[in-house]
Amino acid sequence: MSDVTLASLSAEGIQARAANGHGGPDTTSLIAMRDIWKTYEMGSEKVHALHGVSFEVRKGEYIAITGPSGSGKSTLMNLIGCLDTPSNGEYWLNGKNVSLMDDDELARIRNQEVGFVFQTFNLLARATALHNVELPLIYGGIGSAKRHQMAREALAAVDLADRVTHRPNELSGGQRQRVAIARALVNHPSILLADEPTGALDTHTSGEIMDLFERLHEEGNTVVLVTHEPDIAARAHRIISIRDGQIEKDQVIR
Amino acid sequence: MDRRAARETGPALAPSERHPAQSRSGSLVRIAALWEAAFVALASLRANKLRTALTLIGIVVGVAAVIAVVTIIQGLDNKVATTFSSQGSTVFTISKRPQIIRSREDFVKFNKRKDVTHEDAEAIARLCTSCWRVGVAANVIQTAKHGDQKFENVRVRGVTPQTMFDIDGVTIEAGRIWTDAEGTSGRPICVVGSDVLTNLFGGASADRVIGEEISIGGRPHQILGVLEPLGSIFGASRDSVVYIPYTTYQKAYGARDSIVVFIQVPTADELEAAEDQVRTIMRNRRGRVFNEDEDPGFALETQDVFLDLYGKATSNIKYVTVGVAAISLLVGGIVVMNIMLVSVTERTREIGIRKAMGARRKDILTQFLIEAVAVTALGGFIGVFTGFGLAYGISALIGFPLLINLWSAAGGVGVSSLVGIISGMWPAWRAAKLDPIEALRSE
Repeated sequence: MSDVTLASLSAEGIQARAANGHGGPDTTSLIAMRDIWKTYEMGSEKVHALHGVSFEVRKGEYIAITGPSGSGKSTLMNLIGCLDTPSNGEYWLNGKNVSLMDDDELARIRNQEVGFVFQTFNLLARATALHNVELPLIYGGIGSAKRHQMAREALAAVDLADRVTHRPNELSGGQRQRVAIARALVNHPSILLADEPTGALDTHTSGEIMDLFERLHEEGNTVVLVTHEPDIAARAHRIISIRDGQIEKDQVIR
Repeated sequence: MDRRAARETGPALAPSERHPAQSRSGSLVRIAALWEAAFVALASLRANKLRTALTLIGIVVGVAAVIAVVTIIQGLDNKVATTFSSQGSTVFTISKRPQIIRSREDFVKFNKRKDVTHEDAEAIARLCTSCWRVGVAANVIQTAKHGDQKFENVRVRGVTPQTMFDIDGVTIEAGRIWTDAEGTSGRPICVVGSDVLTNLFGGASADRVIGEEISIGGRPHQILGVLEPLGSIFGASRDSVVYIPYTTYQKAYGARDSIVVFIQVPTADELEAAEDQVRTIMRNRRGRVFNEDEDPGFALETQDVFLDLYGKATSNIKYVTVGVAAISLLVGGIVVMNIMLVSVTERTREIGIRKAMGARRKDILTQFLIEAVAVTALGGFIGVFTGFGLAYGISALIGFPLLINLWSAAGGVGVSSLVGIISGMWPAWRAAKLDPIEALRSE
């Protein structure tokens, strides 16, 4: 049943949107970070979580952001995911200057442009898989019939077509993470942003989830993976290493 | 679906195409998010049944109290209005003491007055041109008996002339009223209220008891007629009465107590003129001239005295109830606020998830407001039904018809919903402005 959408959603769409960029600095860049600073005030002291981070991500890239804990990679992830805004610098996402947006505009961007995958899944415990996947569509204002259809398709795409009415506590860890991935993808976001997506899973299941990310990347999705595990990062095509709030290394590995 | 197959057919979930149904205009967003908010709010209430029930209590009590009291008082108002209007505003009385005495000093003062006598009544009947019917009545409480049946606390009403039945607004169901000759003869005859039949004759039909003899205060009386039932007011039956001729009354109970003169005018418009005439006649008979400060030596009253007293009593009850309800709604509101704050704290992570998925402040705000309003509106709903139930029970006990007012029902639910909005606002606002990062991090 998802084959219908498979055919309709093609790579041309990606190109069309890239050409339609809203005056961002580089129409081929999906993410453009320019000299990003994030400063926290701890009492009278100022702590720089990020200082002067700049990089660009093109559509369809598969990148991993790595670094030890306290390096600033979580802060960077929150900025990329539009959960937070930088203290200084510019962040362009899909042609929009996110650094100047207010709370509700950021909510809109998160809804339309970002698909989150969390380490602890962050599913609503009382809701069914289907309802969990529908959540971004609800806040995107999609009517219920269309919503059910889209959510079912997304669940089918992660091989969970037979689990739509299950609640999170009736699913295995790997299945839960696949529900979360379906939820991240259901709204066709610009980027898929995964924060330690295998951190709560065993090795075998981790492998399956990483296979799924690889497939999603092959299907044209832009994947940004935040992890501290080198072998997980190694599955990406480009690795950005963060240390002490700055980019230490930015290398394309395949 | 086979994963490999998917790869070959094409991209399953490409990041590109956005569905056309996805609307940037606010209205669709609002409807979808609103349904979600309502759904989540109700699910949360269902999941915490005991907590919800405890939260409801304050609201239920407040609303139920107001609904019950308002309903009961409306029922009573209606009853009082229909009861007094039969006699009501066309009748006034002349008596030694007013029916309501407010102080001991007054009581002493009234007792010094001369008794109102049969002669006073005759003078009024003769001289008052505006008066339509004039009658005299005196009451005594007695025990009535028939065979081994006993009926205590019967009001024995000595009246003359027969027009007193019309002034009292009672009519004959069976038998007849005594004739003039019978009335003045002092013979032991009577006309009985329907309660006498129930209590002494086992509820026999009215015509079966005509001619029977009953004992009143130990004296045998022959039944001439039976009155149509009047029903009861405030739990007191108006049918436990025995009418006897005034002459008979005097023979049995003496003339020592003051009598009451009843005067009726054809229409309420003529009441004032008749009152003025009667006042003048009575002042003359007491040897008084007009002087506001001096005691006139008699009391002139209409039924309004009762209506005033009744109105004051019920309005006090209304105020007290509104006060009690306001306090319990206030307490109920604080409870709801407290519970909502707990709910927000418990669901911080859920709020974080929703925000990450694109919920805006107002989506979260709405969700928690709906939850608060759902609790209080439910409380109001239960309160309305409890209130009507209480009123129904009490009306069945006292015996008056119940008037269910839909406006008070709507008001009860409306006010409690308002309490929900007010007490839910702050917790909902706290939820709405939570930082998504912090919220996602919480346990």
